[in-house]
Amino acid sequence: MTSKKRGTNLLYSLIAEARGYADAIILGRGDPDFDTPTYINNAAREAMLKHANDYTPLEGILPLRQAIAERVKRVNKIDVDPETEVVVTNGGQEALFLMVMAVIEEGDELLMPEPNYNTYIDALRFAQGVKVGVPTYVEEDFRVDPERMCQAITGRTRAMLLVSPNNPTGSVIAPDDVRELLGIAQENDLMILADEIYDLFIYDDYVHLSPASLPGGKERTLTLNALSKSYAMCGWRIGWIAGQADLIAQVKQLKAAVTGGNSIIAQYAALAALTGPQDAVNEMREAYSRRRRMVLDALDSMGISYGTPQGGQFVFADISFTGMDSVELAQRILAEQHVLVYPGGPFARRRELGDNYLRITFLQPEDRLGEGLERMKLVMDTIPATS
Amino acid sequence: MPGSQTKEMIIQRHMANELLQAPILLPVQRAQGQDLSTDQPTMQPDPAIVESAATALEQGQTHYVDVPGVAPLRKALAAYLKDMGLVGYEQANVLVTAGIQECRFLSVQMIGEVVGCVALPEVVHPGARKAAGVRQIDVRFLPVDAGNGMLPRLSGMREALESGCKLLYLESPARLTGMVFDGATVKEIAGMIEELDAVVIWDQGLAPWVHNSRYVSLGAQPGVAERVVVFGEAWPGIGLESWFVGYLAASGDWWEDMRSQKQVISICTSTPSQFAAVKAAEMYGDLHAAQLEELAQGRHKVLELIGRLNAEPLAGVSANLVALRLPDPEQAKVVLREAGFSFADGADFGAPGVLRLSVTADDAIVEALDQMA
Repeated sequence: MTSKKRGTNLLYSLIAEARGYADAIILGRGDPDFDTPTYINNAAREAMLKHANDYTPLEGILPLRQAIAERVKRVNKIDVDPETEVVVTNGGQEALFLMVMAVIEEGDELLMPEPNYNTYIDALRFAQGVKVGVPTYVEEDFRVDPERMCQAITGRTRAMLLVSPNNPTGSVIAPDDVRELLGIAQENDLMILADEIYDLFIYDDYVHLSPASLPGGKERTLTLNALSKSYAMCGWRIGWIAGQADLIAQVKQLKAAVTGGNSIIAQYAALAALTGPQDAVNEMREAYSRRRRMVLDALDSMGISYGTPQGGQFVFADISFTGMDSVELAQRILAEQHVLVYPGGPFARRRELGDNYLRITFLQPEDRLGEGLERMKLVMDTIPATS
Repeated sequence: MPGSQTKEMIIQRHMANELLQAPILLPVQRAQGQDLSTDQPTMQPDPAIVESAATALEQGQTHYVDVPGVAPLRKALAAYLKDMGLVGYEQANVLVTAGIQECRFLSVQMIGEVVGCVALPEVVHPGARKAAGVRQIDVRFLPVDAGNGMLPRLSGMREALESGCKLLYLESPARLTGMVFDGATVKEIAGMIEELDAVVIWDQGLAPWVHNSRYVSLGAQPGVAERVVVFGEAWPGIGLESWFVGYLAASGDWWEDMRSQKQVISICTSTPSQFAAVKAAEMYGDLHAAQLEELAQGRHKVLELIGRLNAEPLAGVSANLVALRLPDPEQAKVVLREAGFSFADGADFGAPGVLRLSVTADDAIVEALDQMA
């Protein structure tokens, strides 16, 4: 039984349950089905032979920080000094944790568009901060509305979290909205925590804009990213935080206290990933684009509405018409058809923003994805609409 | 527009956090010169270890793995603990971590949160103070015995416990001196925590280097597994120091709290590190025995040479390091730095005037002593 668990622990227990089925199809966890590209594995092998005992500074080896700075400049249009403005982390997860711990302390409020990636809540809870959820709605493709964000500000508001493309909704904050949100942050002297881990996966004609790339943005923004999703390197645990040197110096102190460093082998692999041929990334992006279309078509055939994912690797599908709780429905799909989709509940406190949804990833090969969606449809066909 | 006052306030808040600002001491400290600062000795990993890790990657072990670690590694670590006499810890009690600092952080923060206080030795690895500073918890300091390798005194432990601080953080061997609690003292600590309903975080990461002395882990005392969290580096000295892989072992509730928090901070430990460690486990017995013997001989030689320096070696039984109290420590630091040697400064641990030098398989430490002489 998993129903009594909540949040991240619930999702992990569903993963464990799915493993019990030999024919399970996983459309839940955000772990790309692609293995890490061979050139990266080869670089890791070479590093094991040449650099196994190398010193690694707390903030990561300089060649990697230089490669990150170059990438951040090229993709995100943010100028950072690799010497002082980049910290390499144990994946995006540690980056997320350190970013929250750097900015939030007991009683501080963090504005978080809802629904949101569930482990931000865990990090915020650890920091003893207060989540202030700002709703986003399926009818608006989960747009982060600057006006709603502004209305949620109080005297205790310390920062706003901008995850773009968003997890779990796939929404991308439009450039004009990013500019407006930065203006709000400046007027109210708020920090911005920018999570851009899916920034290489933008679909159709949508545009991603980094708040730190705008005038006045960098001084109040910490930007995180990681190689897990873009290079299929979830297991390696390499991410980073970029920001202005004064605040990054404190992020380093936190990093020293929490994990103290990163695997030298994973760092050399990351260096190869960023500086090597990018064909594999492009191929993955094209595959995700095709698969996204498959999921949207399948949901259409099931009569399920959704906010059009403008980026990312998942769709947040509205199941409110079933009258079922998202955990109940996800467990039913898993039990009856051995397909794991994530319940939306852990992604939002309010039922109408979370529990009325399922998060479906498109991180399976197309034949598996197609079969998973067909199996899911078999369950959905047995559920009468209640509204 | 003026700079952000919010950001300035945040920075000032961190700067004022003395625990968080404790010195940074990394597993491998520097790239150039002779590194005599490391907690653990190191060598190039055996080709079989490299092959094992590389093969795992080629076979697709590049995805997330279980938060507590891959099963073969947890099994090997449980067996390692059993060999040390820690019979109360099974595979299910083992959590693979992204290195020794994650062990400190998870244990101090997650148990400290429940207990409400942690008592740290006055002389302790600075990483312990930093871990306590991330989210400030009540910290007390245990007086240490300078004549006994800077280990905390039993009387101070009892005083802390009786005053209501029910979580002790102990290193054995001590990270600065390599001194260990003897069997009788360990037994007394076990009795004390039972009597006073307390918990101990026990750093035993240097235990593999104890020589000419029987190592007794607190976790090996009968019936203490519910009260004792043990941690250390996985297979230290075998060449994985820069790969960041450690272990924690704890009973159910503590283990679950730490597993859950590890999920929040790093999800899982880097897969190549874990698969390398699996292979290292198979080879550790043979490789470690030879390394220990070599270091023990090296340390013996160092102790003979120390007489020339008018220096006082601090009591310790770990073959991998020697801690010295010097008549003019500042001058010694200058000399060592100018000669290209790095070292661990006792001041960073809370023991000004003491230098810690790593014993190495080559003659680097002898050269360092020559420089100081």
